[in-house]
Amino acid sequence: MKKQDKPFRFRGNYFFLFVLISYGLIFFINYHIPLLALEKAFLVLIKILPILIIVIFFTALLTYFLQPAKVINHLGKKSGIKGWLWVLAAGMLSHGPMYAWYPLLESLRSHGMRDSLIVVFFASRVIKIPLLPMMIDYFGWAFTLILSFYILVGALVQGWIIELIGTQPSSLQKNRNK
Amino acid sequence: MKKTSLSFWGMTPMLLGVIGLVGLLQALVTPDMLATLFQGNLLADTMIGTLAGSLAVGNPVVSYLIGGELVEKGTSLYAVSAFLLSWVTLGFVQLPAEVEVFGGRFTLYRNILAFIFTLMIAVITTLSLGMLS
Repeated sequence: MKKQDKPFRFRGNYFFLFVLISYGLIFFINYHIPLLALEKAFLVLIKILPILIIVIFFTALLTYFLQPAKVINHLGKKSGIKGWLWVLAAGMLSHGPMYAWYPLLESLRSHGMRDSLIVVFFASRVIKIPLLPMMIDYFGWAFTLILSFYILVGALVQGWIIELIGTQPSSLQKNRNK
Repeated sequence: MKKTSLSFWGMTPMLLGVIGLVGLLQALVTPDMLATLFQGNLLADTMIGTLAGSLAVGNPVVSYLIGGELVEKGTSLYAVSAFLLSWVTLGFVQLPAEVEVFGGRFTLYRNILAFIFTLMIAVITTLSLGMLS
């Protein structure tokens, strides 16, 4: 049976409204701050726009080419050590803010990606390969190497803990494990 | 492509909300303000480093700049490591979006783990560095 698509809806409306109201309230206290904030927000938007476009492109490709069975095979329950290594590498290579990656991860999750691997992805993002020379320059080789090593180990342990405790209500967890 | 674009379009209010909040925080909380939070107490500074990093927003390069300045001013590596780690893994600003996308339980577990591991990694990194030197 073909899976029914979710009906379209805007998400985060109340949150957006809350942010708008915050801007409005601060405007009455000091009108310079929301104007400066808008300028900074616009710069952030310009900066993450290319990343969002790449994420949309990747998500579209994955949705088109990857069947749920393939995702489960690579990132699901039986993906084994390969799945952990994939997300560690992906986390270290990923650019931009964490929220830019939410849509892609949500799509992969709906196709069968394990929550533990999402946690590993987020935790390993602290290591930014292009920024490592800068970190070494500021904090030294030893600090950078030791910190990076513990970050990787920590990311895997966090994923393992999530694997043990689960993040879904028990009934949903059983269905996902089937 | 159409389906994916539609899914992203649906997330627009959430993403714009997060970006708006990022702008607001950047306007309200300056790097200098963050640097003044540290008091010289190891335990308190490590905790402050974690909280300051999770409150701050922006490119990780900025966290290196502030972290470098803090080290020069004599702030402990425990606090600076915690600050660098929480800058990327924790974020109050994106919490509503994370809940919306991944659910409350996932967000709660992930953030609690990230908080605990930030403290742990900051401590063992500094201890390991101390032992090596």
